[in-house]
Amino acid sequence: MLPIFSLTLRQLSGKWRLTIMSVLALLPVAIAVLMVSFDGAPTVEEFEVAVLSSILAGAISPLVVLAIASAAFANEIEDKTLANLTLAPVPRWQIVLPKLLAAICVSGPFIAISAFLTGYFAYSADIRAALAVTGSAIIGVALYSSAFVWLGLKTTRAIGYGLLYIVLWEGFFSSFVMGVRLFSVRYYSIAWMHGFDERRFAGFDDFSFGLAVVASVVVFGGFSLLSIRRLRHMDVP
Amino acid sequence: MGALPAVDTVTTNDVAPVIRVDHVSRWFGSVVAVSDVTFDVKPGITGLLGPNGAGKTTLLRMMTGLTGTSDGTVTVFEEPVRRNPPLYGRMGVMSEHETVYGFMKGRDFVRMMGRLRGVTDEAAVDKAINFVDLADAAHRPMGTYSRGMRQRMRLAGTLVHDPEILILDEPLNGADPRQRVHFQTLLRQLAAEGRTIVLSSHILEEVEQLADTVLLIVNGKLAASGDFRAIRVALDERPYHVLVVSDSPRELAAAVVKLESVDAVNVDPDGTLVVLSRNVRDLQIELPRLAQSAAISLRRVEPLDDSLESVFGYLVER
Amino acid sequence: MTGQPEVTKREGTVFDIGYQNYTGPREGRNRARLSVIKNGVRTSLGFGRGALAKVLPWLFIGVLVFIAIIMALVAGAADRLIGPEDAEQLNLPSHSDFYGIASIIFFVFAAVGAPELLCPDRREGVINLYLVRPLTGSDYAFSRWLAFFMVMVAVAWLPQFILLIGLIMGDPQPVDYLLDNWLDIPKFLAAGIPLAAYTTTLALLTAAFTTRRAYAAVFLVGLFVITTPFTTGLASEIGGTAGQWISMFNLSNIPVHVNDVIFGEPSVITREAPAAELSAWILVGWFLLWTLVPAGVLWVRYRRLTP
Repeated sequence: MLPIFSLTLRQLSGKWRLTIMSVLALLPVAIAVLMVSFDGAPTVEEFEVAVLSSILAGAISPLVVLAIASAAFANEIEDKTLANLTLAPVPRWQIVLPKLLAAICVSGPFIAISAFLTGYFAYSADIRAALAVTGSAIIGVALYSSAFVWLGLKTTRAIGYGLLYIVLWEGFFSSFVMGVRLFSVRYYSIAWMHGFDERRFAGFDDFSFGLAVVASVVVFGGFSLLSIRRLRHMDVP
Repeated sequence: MGALPAVDTVTTNDVAPVIRVDHVSRWFGSVVAVSDVTFDVKPGITGLLGPNGAGKTTLLRMMTGLTGTSDGTVTVFEEPVRRNPPLYGRMGVMSEHETVYGFMKGRDFVRMMGRLRGVTDEAAVDKAINFVDLADAAHRPMGTYSRGMRQRMRLAGTLVHDPEILILDEPLNGADPRQRVHFQTLLRQLAAEGRTIVLSSHILEEVEQLADTVLLIVNGKLAASGDFRAIRVALDERPYHVLVVSDSPRELAAAVVKLESVDAVNVDPDGTLVVLSRNVRDLQIELPRLAQSAAISLRRVEPLDDSLESVFGYLVER
Repeated sequence: MTGQPEVTKREGTVFDIGYQNYTGPREGRNRARLSVIKNGVRTSLGFGRGALAKVLPWLFIGVLVFIAIIMALVAGAADRLIGPEDAEQLNLPSHSDFYGIASIIFFVFAAVGAPELLCPDRREGVINLYLVRPLTGSDYAFSRWLAFFMVMVAVAWLPQFILLIGLIMGDPQPVDYLLDNWLDIPKFLAAGIPLAAYTTTLALLTAAFTTRRAYAAVFLVGLFVITTPFTTGLASEIGGTAGQWISMFNLSNIPVHVNDVIFGEPSVITREAPAAELSAWILVGWFLLWTLVPAGVLWVRYRRLTP
C-alpha cells in the first residue's frame, strides 16, 4: 500500500494546487482575525454560524477536499494510468485505502491549520476550543474525502456534481431544511465540535453526538466500500 | 530474466493452453466490438492482427481483466481473469496508452511496479532496466523521455516481476528501427524462456517475423488463426498469384493457360506474367516442363502472396 | 433483303473514382471561427456526446429554472392569499432580484463548463489541430469566449422568461400585469449580458492557466464563495468610503450591481451592500474593469500560441 500512498501524495501535491489550497484555507483565519480586531465584533453564536459552519465546514473544507480527493482516482482515469495499479495482484481495498489516506493527508493539514488558527483567534487563545474546531474539521475532511474519492471514481464530471452538492446541499438546503441536516457532513462536523467542547454551538440540538459518530462511521465506511466496489466492477481505461 | 521451463513450441498441440477465450463477445450499447470469438493461447508468441476498429484492444482488455465480457469467458491458467487480482502477479500487461507518470524517475517507476507485485529486490529492478537498455536514463523523470524511451521503460515495468504471461498492446509505437530490432530480440528471448506472449500490432512484417501463431480479427470476429502460411493454404477459394518473368511472355502465357492447374493468366504491360493457380504444387512441376518444351527461358518465378500482408489484406477485404 | 444490318451504338463512361482534388470554394478564417464557436456551444451543452454529458449542464439549467418557478409560485400564492395590493407591499423577489439570488449557480455553471472548452484541448494537444487551420490563437480564444458567452446568455434569459410567464399567469389580471411590467423584459435581457460576459471571462481566464478542469473550477468557485463574507464583514466593520470600496471586492456582486443600475433599484442581495451606495458610473466602470482586464489577459495568453 505504501507505493500507492507515496504515488498519490506526489500526484496531489503540485505547487500551484497547494498554493491555491493555502489561499482558500487562510481566508477563514483572516475573517476571524478581522472580526475580533474591530469594535462591534459579532456574538459567539453569530461567529460560529457564519464562519465555522457556513465558511469553514460548509464551503472551504469541502471545496479544498473536492479539488484534492476527487483527483485521487480521476486524474489517473483521465491520464489512463490507473491500469498500472489495478493490474497489481492486490485486493482492491489496498488500492482505495492508500488513495483515500493520501487525499486526507494532503488536504487535512490545510484545513486543520486553518481551523486551529480560526478557533485560536476567535476564542481568544482558548486551546480547548481551538482543538475542538480542529478535531471536527479533520473529521469533516475525512468524511468529505471518502465521498469525493468515490465521486472521482464514479464519474468524469466529479467536480461539477461535487460543486452542486456543496452549493445546494451543504450550502443551501442544510441551512433551511432540518431533515437535510441528518445527511449533511457540515452538520456532522458541527455535532463533533459540540461533542468535543459543549460550549461550541452551545444551542445545537439537531441531533445527538452519538448519532453524529454513528453517521460519520457510516458515511466514511459506506463511501469507502462503494469506492472499493466501484474499482472492482468498473472497466479500467 | 529468469528462465522458465523450456517448452517445445513446435509441437504446441500437446501443450495446455495458458489463455482460453471461449465464445467471448463484447458490446457497448448497440455497438458490437467483439463477436463470439474463441481461441486458445499457448506458450510462444501470438500476434493479434486486425485493422483499426477490429476489436483487438477490446479483446486484449478482456484477456487482462480490465474489461468484462458481455458474453463468454476468458480464463488464464484455468482461472477466470476478471476480478481475480492474485492472477495479475503472473501477468505483465502493457496497454496501448503511452501516458506515464511524468514526474517519476524511470527507476522509481519500475521499482513501484515491482513493489506492487511483491518484488522488493533492487536487483530485479536493475535487471529489468538493463533488459530494455535504459540504465543511463533511469535516473531522469519520464517526462523528459522520448516516446520510444517511455515505451521501453513501460516494458521494463511490465517485466520487473518476471511474469509468465506478457500481453502487449501496440508495444512498438514510437520505436525507431534500431529499437524495433532490439525489441524483437527481447521478445524472442522471452519466448524462448517459455513465456506466453500476446502482442497486437499494425506492423505486419514484424508479426510475420516474430509470431508463431497469428490471430486475425476483422470486424470483431476471428477471421483466421494459426501459422499464416497454413492460413494461406486454407484459403483455397482464392488462387495463388505467381509472378513469372520470361523471354517470351505471350508465347508462355498462351501455353500456360492450357494447364489444368492454372485458373487465369494476366500479362502486365511490362511483359511479366501473373499466373493464378489453386494448385501451386502441380504448377511448380508443369511450368518448367512447359517452358523447356517451348524453348522459353524462365528468368524469375516468385509467389506474390506468400506473405502475411497478402493474407491479411485478403481476409480484411472479403 | 440487302444492305448493312443496323448497328446501335451503345455509350458508356468510365469514371475515375480515385483521389480527386477539391476544387470547390474554400472558406477562410470566418468559417473556421464559426466552426469553433459552434463546437464550443455544443460542448458546453453536452450536444453531440452521450446522454451522460448532457446531465450536468442541464441539471444546472434545471436548478435555475426551478428557482424561477419557485419565485413565480410564491408571488402567485401571495396574490391569492393576501390580495395583489398587499402582496405588492411585501416586495417579493422578482426579475430584478433573480440574477442576484441565482448568481452562485451561474458562477458554478461557468466554473464547471468553461474549463471544458479550453483545458482538454491543451491537455490532449488538440489545440494544435486548430492552429494549423486559418485560425490564430486570438481567433480560437475569442471563438471559445463567444461560444460560452452565448450559452451563458441563454442560460440567464431562459429562467427569466419562465419567471415572466409564471408571474403573468399567476396574476389575477394577466394582461394588465404584462402591460404594467413589460419594461422588465428589456431590463432583464440587458442585465443578463453583463452577467454572462463577466462569468464567461473569469471562468475562461482561470481555465487558461491550468490543464486540469477540476482545479480551475474549484479555484473560481472558492474565490466567489469566499469573497462574499470576507468583504461583507470587513466593509460593514470599517464603514464609510473605505467600506464601500472593500464591498466592491465582493466578486459575486459585481455583475449584480450592474443589474441594479439597469433596473434602477438594488436587488435583495445587494440592498445591504455598502457598494450599492456608489454611483452607477463607478459600478459599471468597476464591472468593465473586472471583465475587460481579464479578457485582455486571456487574449494575451492565447495570442502567441502557434502549432
